Amino acid sequence: MSKMGTLYAPGNSIFHRMDGSVKMLLFAAWTIATFLFLDLRVFVVMLLVGLGLLLSAKIPFRRIRVIFWVMIVFNVFNTAFILLITPTYGSELTGTSTPVLNIGYNTINLETLFYVLTLTTKYITLLPISLLFIFTTHPSQFASSLNRIGIPYKIAYAVNIAFRYIPDIQSEFRSITNSMQMRGIGFRKGDAPFIQRVKNVTSIAFPMLYSSLQRIEVVSNAMELRGFGKHRRRTWYHMEKYQGIDYLVGTLSILLIAGSIWMKVSVLKGFWYPL
Amino acid sequence: MISFHNFSFQYQKLTEPTLRNINLDIRPGEKILIAGPSGSGKSTLAHCINGLIPFTYEGKLEGTMTLHGESTTGKSIFEISQSVGTILQDLDGQFIGLSVGEDVAFSFENDGVPRAQMKQEVERALTTVNMLDYIDQSPHDLSGGQKQRVSLAGILSTQADILLFDEPLANLDPASGKQAMKMIDDIHQQTNKTIIIIEHRIEDVLEQLIDRIVVMSEGEIQAIGTPDEILSSDILRKHGLREPLYIEALKYAGCELSAADELTQLHHINVPKFENALTSWYNAGTASTSSPSKQPLLDVQNVRFSYDGEHEVIRGVSFQVQTGEIVALLGNNGAGKSTLSHLIMGIVRQSSGEIRLQGEEIRNWSIRKRGEQIGYVMQNPNQMITQHMIWDEVALGLTIRGVSKETIDAKVEHILRICGLYPYRNWPISALSYGQKKRVTIAAVLAMEPKLIILDEPTAGQDYKHYTEFMEFIAELARTGLSFIFITHDMHLALEYTDSAVVISGGEVIANDKVASVLTNAEVIERANLKETSLSVLARVIGLPSAEGFVQHFINYEKQVKHHE
Repeated sequence: MSKMGTLYAPGNSIFHRMDGSVKMLLFAAWTIATFLFLDLRVFVVMLLVGLGLLLSAKIPFRRIRVIFWVMIVFNVFNTAFILLITPTYGSELTGTSTPVLNIGYNTINLETLFYVLTLTTKYITLLPISLLFIFTTHPSQFASSLNRIGIPYKIAYAVNIAFRYIPDIQSEFRSITNSMQMRGIGFRKGDAPFIQRVKNVTSIAFPMLYSSLQRIEVVSNAMELRGFGKHRRRTWYHMEKYQGIDYLVGTLSILLIAGSIWMKVSVLKGFWYPL
Repeated sequence: MISFHNFSFQYQKLTEPTLRNINLDIRPGEKILIAGPSGSGKSTLAHCINGLIPFTYEGKLEGTMTLHGESTTGKSIFEISQSVGTILQDLDGQFIGLSVGEDVAFSFENDGVPRAQMKQEVERALTTVNMLDYIDQSPHDLSGGQKQRVSLAGILSTQADILLFDEPLANLDPASGKQAMKMIDDIHQQTNKTIIIIEHRIEDVLEQLIDRIVVMSEGEIQAIGTPDEILSSDILRKHGLREPLYIEALKYAGCELSAADELTQLHHINVPKFENALTSWYNAGTASTSSPSKQPLLDVQNVRFSYDGEHEVIRGVSFQVQTGEIVALLGNNGAGKSTLSHLIMGIVRQSSGEIRLQGEEIRNWSIRKRGEQIGYVMQNPNQMITQHMIWDEVALGLTIRGVSKETIDAKVEHILRICGLYPYRNWPISALSYGQKKRVTIAAVLAMEPKLIILDEPTAGQDYKHYTEFMEFIAELARTGLSFIFITHDMHLALEYTDSAVVISGGEVIANDKVASVLTNAEVIERANLKETSLSVLARVIGLPSAEGFVQHFINYEKQVKHHE
């Protein structure tokens, strides 16, 4: 987490300069394209392009490490469950069955293995573009983008403020647990039986809630005293005029949506299985 | 400019009015201090001025309030905020933008100012407060004084002609507080805006010229006058407010004060009049009794620590705390005070050096094990309290230890009696005042029977009266053999209640001595963002031989007075 308390990683790539709303459009187009297909060829191409874009943004790896591993673990579990629960699902898509491994109650076949590979690639395809969107968009810019695409600015601002308080709440949580531990109240494994630990953690909710309410009161007073909500529209310090790159990427995104719908309807209709 | 006439206000949820019969005229360009103990109604009055009452806090209004000659009834909070700019007490809470520039721009954004013009205006406002270099930084990375400059820039940008400061000194170390008052004064001189300051730290506010002081207590205005008039009377003390230390010293020395003595400006004070009385009072002082050497309870030896393995934040700190001693840990924000307390509590471990408790090295003790010997009380009691009832809160630690019910009952009862909370034992904690909650947190820590208690900013958020009560209670506990470390930047607190002071700056101990000598040492004061006490200034102005001796005499004398009260 940066000191600003957000996931934003400062930088000066094309993506950092791109308007938040255009990035949202790109993200949406990418997601639509991904979900339309079940074709490994498409995903490999998109994944390579996505990785190229991600590398060009030069986000330090340690910043994205956590999310990266969460995605990988999710995929591993997902794969395992599909293989264990529906080991022959691939056959339903291809109509053939090539047994590979006997797991007692059923047999995993090659079709399912290929299906799982396709599915995993599909999810991973979304990873680079999501990371790009999350780490190169300044939260305030994000709020102004939400407002630009028609979401009322009060709601857009609420999103912004919520992101802002995550680190404050984290540090408060830490200092409260520390003071509780000094009084012998255990939160760690081995300090107390599991049930007691759960109880101890929930008891923190009371002071946390109290201070959150206080925080909300202070910030809403501060906002009101400085004229928040005075007019129906407001301007944004962080809203840039659309640049050439914004129009370009916007157009490409729309082309991507249109193109992938056309492909889906007329060329790559179903599950691609070359074996 | 602002005028209250027979004005009263009662919050919707309360049965009694919080403000009663307020009659006050604030003139254009005036610089006015509204002082009062907690619960006096001074914050409520501030809310009436900036429009939060009645727009956010509802209630019953009587009488009239006019702003620029027009009644505020029927006006929206936005109309009022165009003339009244408010700087709130909670410096962190009031930042809205993620960068300095964005925060200053906030009111422009709400006014729909076009972006190009907004950038220019923001830069101009930041130039006024000398903070332009920080435009892209996060407000949270700034020091307390810088934060205040940024919030001031945010208000200056609104063109409001009245500036309302709600406890501007609350979270600042002494030197930053002094700078903040200077900055307010500069703005006043440059713009001639009307300045209203709500504060109870009167001595610090009066370092700069103030036109009038309004003393509030129990919802009413008790006195309005020039600082000289107010200081020469007994009004402040009578209403539970702290007089400037040098005024106290003059009164202890038996000087007759009058409004003509230029009491507000210490450097111009009427020296011939006070010289004799002060000199003889000083000479009557007996040498302070040196405390007999006791057992060191906590022994910190050459401790070093860094968070990242590269930049050391604690660089070879050593100090001791004796049994029954109260030690002040002083230092500017970011000096390493909190890290040091975390090291003692075991939240982080030192990279080298030793921490001994009663001679035993505690390096490998867990937080919980240390917690049996060392208690820690956070600044804000609301962050420590987890139970609904006082009794349960105090019993919590013992219950978890698995102590038998009878023992717990006996102990909790005993502790509640010591802490003066026994009459409230079956009350819900939410019904208590801030100061009482603070006592509950101490009681809860005492129940664990620690030998040392670390108090983080023990007096924050309390006015003089409650502060004195609370500190007398702590001093009483110290006399039973309990030791305390105060982490604080409140110098009055250090002066009156601690035996010695450890001053930290840049992760090193730069002084470790009696409080009187630390606070009269110019080099230490400078490096640790402290401030010379007005007592030593007085000693110099009068021409007494030793400022340190004078301060020490004052402390001893005050202890005697408090003891007899």
